[in-house]
Amino acid sequence: MTAILLTRAGPLTTLQDAGRFGMLAHGISASGPMDRGAYLAAGAALERAGETAIEFSQGLEFDTVGDLRLAVAGGDFKLWVNGAAADWPGAMTLKSGDHVAIAPGAWGNYGYLRFVREIDITPVLGSRSTNVTVGLGGFKGRALKAGDRVGFGAEGQPVVALDAPRSEGPIRVIWGLHADLFDGAVRRRYVEQGFLVSTNLDRMGVRLTDPVGVFDGQRKLNLVSDAIVPGDIQILGDGTPIVLMRDHQPTGGYPRIATVVSADLDRFAQLRPGTEVRFRPVTLEHAR
Amino acid sequence: MAEGDPRATLLPLGDQSLLVKFADSLSEAANRAAIGLARRLERERPDGVAEIVPGLVSVLLRTTPGVDLARLRGELMLAVGGEADLPPPAARTVAITFDGEDLPEVAERLGIAPDEFVAHHNATSLRVLATGFAPGFVYCGFHPDDLVVPRREALRPMVPAGTILFAAGQTAIAATPIRTGWHVIGRTAFQNFDPAAIPPTTLRPGDDIRFTVAR
Repeated sequence: MTAILLTRAGPLTTLQDAGRFGMLAHGISASGPMDRGAYLAAGAALERAGETAIEFSQGLEFDTVGDLRLAVAGGDFKLWVNGAAADWPGAMTLKSGDHVAIAPGAWGNYGYLRFVREIDITPVLGSRSTNVTVGLGGFKGRALKAGDRVGFGAEGQPVVALDAPRSEGPIRVIWGLHADLFDGAVRRRYVEQGFLVSTNLDRMGVRLTDPVGVFDGQRKLNLVSDAIVPGDIQILGDGTPIVLMRDHQPTGGYPRIATVVSADLDRFAQLRPGTEVRFRPVTLEHAR
Repeated sequence: MAEGDPRATLLPLGDQSLLVKFADSLSEAANRAAIGLARRLERERPDGVAEIVPGLVSVLLRTTPGVDLARLRGELMLAVGGEADLPPPAARTVAITFDGEDLPEVAERLGIAPDEFVAHHNATSLRVLATGFAPGFVYCGFHPDDLVVPRREALRPMVPAGTILFAAGQTAIAATPIRTGWHVIGRTAFQNFDPAAIPPTTLRPGDDIRFTVAR
């Protein structure tokens, strides 16, 4: 059977399809690609593609077993096939025994490998996505690591890329569930001040550093838990802002000042630690 | 909607979801209103709603792309005011082994012996208030006022699936390994989460749940 054998994998390497939708009422977030646009772009670079991608960060190396056609997209990465530099993003046909190496380039956190064939794992609750928080789905419910063999099944379907160009400038947000709990001065500072992406980021959430202390002394206790959506910006008890991502907890009781609009969440997910990030509130009409 | 039911507020949660919220704090009336609305919407799902998620005091509605929000808001407000013409809740029994490490401390805080606590805890049935926090994790309430203790100060390391938790006038059932700041009072063989089944959970918000001592 056609397969790839991983010889190196960064810590956040997982199998992801479009997501496990419809399970929030059972306490399961949808997971799915951190950069949905890049996931679709990799699929659209092929004539047809299996739904499941390998999402990786900090590079990946593998050997192919059997001939294999695939495409890559995402942040900026460097790609070598048998030691020779190859195009990123791009599509390629590999021969059995080819060795592929991928290393981080100038920007971005996540890259995607998509294949003409579907990845041969059993869907869990209608999806092949990995929910690392719960240990559900994907490759044995866990991140991929060196030594794992990923096999392939039937050919997939044609994929359409997003047609919207990627936005630039501040990350757009809609004022959140608890925005009213923050006084006007704090809300103003939240919009005026920059934050930094911290090194504490994963598929659950991205913690920000707040260099000027916008949320110092904003401790608000005992909020009743409500459902969380990807992009919700929670302010933790110590004032740390965290942007909740695809493997978010299904519910949360920390105050949420704003929610990143869905069209900007991919771009936010690709911001590296140390990057300055600013937020710009928009109305619902401008987010859709 | 019955008289005295709490007022509903419709809030956007990002650009792809709406939250219908009945209160800012947990109450009997707000929880009943949230469960009732979710059940009515599940029976007759409005166009443009992709997913209905009942919570403790709110209902999340994930919307489909391009939905006419003004029309949907109008339909939701009508559903909020709709009659509660619903089948009665399912009755469930969950057997508990009351050997949790916090049980003696909980009983002592309440000024009763551990076996009195168990009897008191199981005396009346509770309602499944919501699923949330983790897969299949359910909050059940409400215990009477003389059976209320606050949460613990510190989080515990992982507790296993089936752990019975107690705090804030509620009993909760962990269906996956979790970290918790609630008191561990026992365990159950009942598993409310089976990833191989669709749907993967058994208990529904609104179910009437009776706890018994496992034999």
